[in-house]
Amino acid sequence: MVEALSPLKTVCAPGRYGADGEAGIVLGTRAIRSLWQIAGWADFETAAADLLGVLGLNGLGDYRTARVAGAVTAWRIAPDKVLIEGCGDLTGYGSADLAVLDLSHARTLIDLGGPAARDLLTQIVTVDVRAATFKPGAFLQTGIHGVGVLIHCIGSDDFEIYVPSTWAESLWEVFCENALPHGLLVNGAG
Amino acid sequence: MIRIDCPVCGLRNETEFAYGGDATVRRPAMDESEMGPWRDYVFIRDNPRGWHREYWHHVQGCRQWLVVERNTLTHEVGTCRLAREVAE
Ligand SMILES: [Zn+2]
Repeated sequence: MVEALSPLKTVCAPGRYGADGEAGIVLGTRAIRSLWQIAGWADFETAAADLLGVLGLNGLGDYRTARVAGAVTAWRIAPDKVLIEGCGDLTGYGSADLAVLDLSHARTLIDLGGPAARDLLTQIVTVDVRAATFKPGAFLQTGIHGVGVLIHCIGSDDFEIYVPSTWAESLWEVFCENALPHGLLVNGAG
Repeated sequence: MIRIDCPVCGLRNETEFAYGGDATVRRPAMDESEMGPWRDYVFIRDNPRGWHREYWHHVQGCRQWLVVERNTLTHEVGTCRLAREVAE
């Protein structure tokens, strides 16, 4: 098995940067567990529901709320597409009705936290991410710096952001530069 | 500023989308042998003032193609539907 190295390995340098005082922003990363996309056609809902059932998830869910069962998290990212993390190898579930695609190496995770996390997000996305509208458990797909990303709210001021690995370093810089005025604490690569 | 109410993602800024062309154009029947209808289909577009139907791609979102009603005079946006659900 090839060891997966994060594209942030060399740029995610632990330390305290930017404005003094309490760090408003905490940035880090963690390894993505298996990440798969399942997609289909007219009978996608039936085909997907069977697989999601095996993973402990009942139904496909909506386009705004992450589904969680144990170590598995699923996001319905389009009418006929679901993204799943922590599901193990889904190769065997591919069929004429269900296309399965391993994206484990295609996405990198940026972990954003701290009391100013929502302020930073507001600076770089055009979607309403205030606490009253973007609550823990919710997710959204949007663009940061012209790059499509998925933002999953996992706590009151805690977000996991799935970015294309090819753009991870650039987006990491966007996060860091916008975080400096708030005071930035970088955790080591997880 | 144009904001588009994606049926999947909700109300989003135009900057998340890519314009995809005139959604009123219809391809001629495949057995059409006259050159005129094919020339019109490929090259000729109206340039209406007022309400128009357009394709927009939510490229930095759900990546779905939408059919959006837009007023070319005011930039007001009307209905936004998934292209797959718009009856031919
Ligand atoms: Zn969308």
